[in-house]
Amino acid sequence: MNVSRLSRAARSVVLTVLYLFLLAPIIIVLVESFDNATYLRFPPEGFTLDAYRQVFANEAFREGFQVSGVTAAATALLAVLTGVPAALALTRLRFRGRSAVEAAFLSPLLVPHIVLGLALLLILAPIPLTDTYWGLILAHLGVTVPYVVRTVSASLVSADPRAEEAARTLGAGGFTTFWRITLPAIRPGLFSGGVIAFLLSFDETVISLFVSGQNTVPLPVAVLQYVEYRSDPSVASLSVLLVLLSVVVVVLVERGLGLRRTLRSG
Amino acid sequence: MADAPARTPSAPAAPAGDTPSPEGSAAHLVLDGLVKTYPGKDGAAVRGVDLAVERGRMLAVLGPSGCGKSTTLRMIAGLVEPTAGRVRVGGRDITDAPVHRRDMGVVFQSYALFPHLDVARNVAFGLEMRKTPKADLKRKVAEALELVRLGHLAGRRIAQLSGGQQQRVALARALVVEPAVLLLDEPLSNLDAQLRAAMRDEICRIQRETGVTTVFVTHDQQEALSMADRVAVMNHGRIEQTGSPEDIYERPARSFVARFVGRANLLPGTAEGQDGDHTLVALDGLGRVPAAGEPVARGGTATVMLRPHRIALSPAAGGTGAVRGTVLSAGYAGETVAYRVRVGDDGPLLDVERPTGTQEPFGPGAEVELTWDHAAPRLVSDEDGDSEGSR
Repeated sequence: MNVSRLSRAARSVVLTVLYLFLLAPIIIVLVESFDNATYLRFPPEGFTLDAYRQVFANEAFREGFQVSGVTAAATALLAVLTGVPAALALTRLRFRGRSAVEAAFLSPLLVPHIVLGLALLLILAPIPLTDTYWGLILAHLGVTVPYVVRTVSASLVSADPRAEEAARTLGAGGFTTFWRITLPAIRPGLFSGGVIAFLLSFDETVISLFVSGQNTVPLPVAVLQYVEYRSDPSVASLSVLLVLLSVVVVVLVERGLGLRRTLRSG
Repeated sequence: MADAPARTPSAPAAPAGDTPSPEGSAAHLVLDGLVKTYPGKDGAAVRGVDLAVERGRMLAVLGPSGCGKSTTLRMIAGLVEPTAGRVRVGGRDITDAPVHRRDMGVVFQSYALFPHLDVARNVAFGLEMRKTPKADLKRKVAEALELVRLGHLAGRRIAQLSGGQQQRVALARALVVEPAVLLLDEPLSNLDAQLRAAMRDEICRIQRETGVTTVFVTHDQQEALSMADRVAVMNHGRIEQTGSPEDIYERPARSFVARFVGRANLLPGTAEGQDGDHTLVALDGLGRVPAAGEPVARGGTATVMLRPHRIALSPAAGGTGAVRGTVLSAGYAGETVAYRVRVGDDGPLLDVERPTGTQEPFGPGAEVELTWDHAAPRLVSDEDGDSEGSR
């Protein structure tokens, strides 16, 4: 009994330390975002919301937010539109070179982003698509589609493929079967894949640095450019806001999907 | 409301384009030389299956796993494209018709219900695909659910149902569209033993009430014999024998069939001539035994099948001419005792099954006399479907 209580205590200590280790940078940024200095320092010596006001007053940040928002939304949509058919083909069809195609879809995750960014710059510059929304979206698709393929495939694998056959024997054609049976089955994977794609695209920095210019500057690049010359707590405030945004999106989706799941089984 | 029968037996499903088959027989579903080969695989999964099912009858396709029975069923449903051969329903060739135009009701082994729809909407799916008017649709769904006795669960989610209830929903979903043929793939294999017996009766009742022509696939000989009007025994992609359950069990044509549909003693011997419609076969240790069945020419090798429960045991008496043996083991199994008996001193080993409660069981080492009635030994052919073509 003592042993089990001891081990339980040890486990909670380990977990606490682990979480602290993971969250420490965010905590420091959070604390720092309320500092009243004009430069970054730790620990802070005052309390003010000035930094937050500065974020909203900053033209570059506002534009960056818009660029990143539009890019991320378009990337998520297109990633889902391409990732779902890819996942369907990879899980349901048997064809020559299937594993090669699968590897090709997942390979962007293995290539360093700096290499991808350089390659994309070399490809997009002559078209020319650098410094445009389309260039950004195309670049981001490469690193987000793999996630959609992954999450949708996972949903497909856990769904009974016989259900689609059953629908067909009951008179449903190919499209009706997809719309009425397959799509509802992969909805959780589709949503989580889309959200991951949105967040990754919104957060993408390295590749964006290569393919963006003066006209379309995504938020992370805008932040980088800002801290190159200045370092005041407004960057910390912006970071806190971004963390909040991610948390809100993830929680909303989790709630939405979780709610649906409980409705289904309870 | 529970007393309204869904459909009367006199009103079976009448598919469109139903004309008498060219053969002039009452065959409703006809399979003509169906073959399925898969590229890159040795031999064919299905190697020429001919079958005919009369309207309103139930056919069981019985065979071990991998014998091609499920592939055959899927070819009827249109889910697998045959390499060769034709499928006809009501005289109409549907071999090239796409799945969703075939008018087949299929119950899958996993039931394949739609998890995101409730019971009523699962059942309604096929009617929606047929653009059935709302009022009709509601009535038919209600009737189908009454037929499978699930009217009270119409609003339930699929995940809330037991295995047996899911099975009934799958049946209702397949039957509500009044299909030309009902196809059941191992319909009872996912249920526990008690439920299986109950569902067996249920499926038979529903089949009688709807009068739908039915083909079901199973590896369980009990299921096939007790449910079907006719049984087709399949092995290695071929039909070994088709007949009534009695034919299959009492008069198997081949040793595979004899072994697959029940326990059987298969004794090799030599034909020694005819005695009426029996062939006299000389069997090791058993002497000359008359056996019914396809005659074997004098001097030819013959295999005699003897079902364990057709052999009677009595305590050895002094008489001559009787077959004598020694009990090697006795296995008590509730309703029966399964004996292994050595005939003579070094004769063949026979499986014998006796009901309990009729006589004092014999213990190991007991000396016994074995007797059987004249009709019990049957000649079976030894040729196996797999000896040809597979290599």
